[in-house]
Amino acid sequence: MANVEYRGMNLVIPENDSEWREHFKLARGHKLMLRACKACGLMRYPPSHGCPWCATLEWEWKEVSGKGHIYSYEVVHHAIQPGFKEWTPYAVVLVELDEQRGKPTPDEALRIIANLVTPDGKPEAEAEVAIGKRVRVVFQDLTADFALPQFTLTDEPPVGRVWSLPG
Amino acid sequence: MAGLKDKYCIVGVGETEYSKRSGRSTRAMAVEAVKTAMADAGLKASDVDGMMSYQSGDSTPANWVAPDLGLRLNFYMDVFGGGSSSEALVGLAMGAIESGMCNTVAIFRSMNGYSDFRIGGTGARAAQPVRGLDLAQMPFGMRSAGQSFAPTFMRHMYEYGTTSEQVARVRVAHSTHASQNPKALLKERVTVADVVGSRWITKPLHLLDCCVETDNATCIIVTSTDRARDLKQKPAYVMGVAGRVNKTRTDFHWAAGPISRVAGYYAKDIVFGQAGIKPEDVDVTGSYDAFTFTTMLQLEEYGFCKKSEGGQYVSSGTIELGGRRPNNTSGGHLCEGYTHGMSMVIENVRQLRGRVDDYCPGWAEGKHSYDYSPGKCRQVKDAKITMNLGWAMPPTGSALILHS
Repeated sequence: MANVEYRGMNLVIPENDSEWREHFKLARGHKLMLRACKACGLMRYPPSHGCPWCATLEWEWKEVSGKGHIYSYEVVHHAIQPGFKEWTPYAVVLVELDEQRGKPTPDEALRIIANLVTPDGKPEAEAEVAIGKRVRVVFQDLTADFALPQFTLTDEPPVGRVWSLPG
Repeated sequence: MAGLKDKYCIVGVGETEYSKRSGRSTRAMAVEAVKTAMADAGLKASDVDGMMSYQSGDSTPANWVAPDLGLRLNFYMDVFGGGSSSEALVGLAMGAIESGMCNTVAIFRSMNGYSDFRIGGTGARAAQPVRGLDLAQMPFGMRSAGQSFAPTFMRHMYEYGTTSEQVARVRVAHSTHASQNPKALLKERVTVADVVGSRWITKPLHLLDCCVETDNATCIIVTSTDRARDLKQKPAYVMGVAGRVNKTRTDFHWAAGPISRVAGYYAKDIVFGQAGIKPEDVDVTGSYDAFTFTTMLQLEEYGFCKKSEGGQYVSSGTIELGGRRPNNTSGGHLCEGYTHGMSMVIENVRQLRGRVDDYCPGWAEGKHSYDYSPGKCRQVKDAKITMNLGWAMPPTGSALILHS
């Protein structure tokens, strides 16, 4: 059972948590792995048992590039969890991955929540956060078998319009 | 709702004081709220044989509340969940009566939402371990409702050019309404500058874009139209109800469709279809205003304006008292107090009775001045049809249409 203390939170993954028990362990190997349906081949996140599109229960892990862009975001100024107070202001980003964009319907995509961090793992400066900017996955190692997938900016050209909240 | 339109109604409503420190149990508050609603309806203990409630481990179940009022129940059910339950439970209560399980149902919600279990995850919830699906967001410092909804709001601004100033007008409207409400926690009228000048909670939410966490209990009593005939109040008849309607991928709604689309997109056809009316027929709306943005998104999705024009709609004066279709005339969750959705249904029932409890000396007899200057009236003239827009999360919502 994973029992990880992080920023005052107790992250618990019992052995019978068949959704999550491998996800953060695989991330510790510095791979972003998603579940892919063995029937229709579509990937999904978060890890789930059935395929959201064809309800097939058989799946396999598939590595993705970890590249994508910021689809939406927020910048937290008032932390709820005490362990995040020293991190404020910090960005939470909704990253749209490059794989499977617009599939199976035009507005669907593989999206994942993470923090936008600098390459050395600190919260990215607020002025740098914007919808459309390109990002890549980085891994924040918490224990010997647990890492959080996070994202950092790259200098690739943006996807669509670059936009951030005025002011 | 094949054949159920007008067959059921809300006959009694009641609430406790809205405060930040009730100093008593959720059981004590629930008992008071149910008793007040029973007295409002003119129901005695032997008349109420059904009870429903909703909570998330932060309240007292119905079977511990009923005995304090001398009730013997033929049916009770406590539902797990929060926002959007108010409307859904009205529909479930109708089903319980329709099936013959009971005759009259008291629905309550009781919460020490400020002094004990705070929705945002502080207070008694703070020590809970993070596990299961929460692992997809909480380790990244996304825990509270505001933090969970903010990317939806931000994406709406990106896609449609919605501005902070437009959305701030929701707070302005609701604060204006609260200034006419003796029960409201925050009675002071605010301006757009006050809202956008208040400190950031999580961008794009300022402090005044967020509701006021509150200790309180609320109650709504549902019975059949036949049973309502010899009761005290003019009934508020149910024309249509939609309960906890969802987008796909409710496990992780960000994966599905445009994230600026919310559940009302799917709920509207159900509820308007049952009622046989259109948005323009509605006189008063009650939105789930946990945040200014939730009001804007719901009004837009239910078709009160075109999708994309929510910002213009809420800043046009339409939703203010004296406007074409006032929203949350009590001040709502932003200003009256946070009740997990109940109080906006209660307010609409009072609007339909013509007996809103404002500062008009004759309100209890339905005598209103319709003077909407501060500290005066908040009754909408000739309110005949009201609609509640319940919100749980962006992908989940309920709706309720009532008429006088």
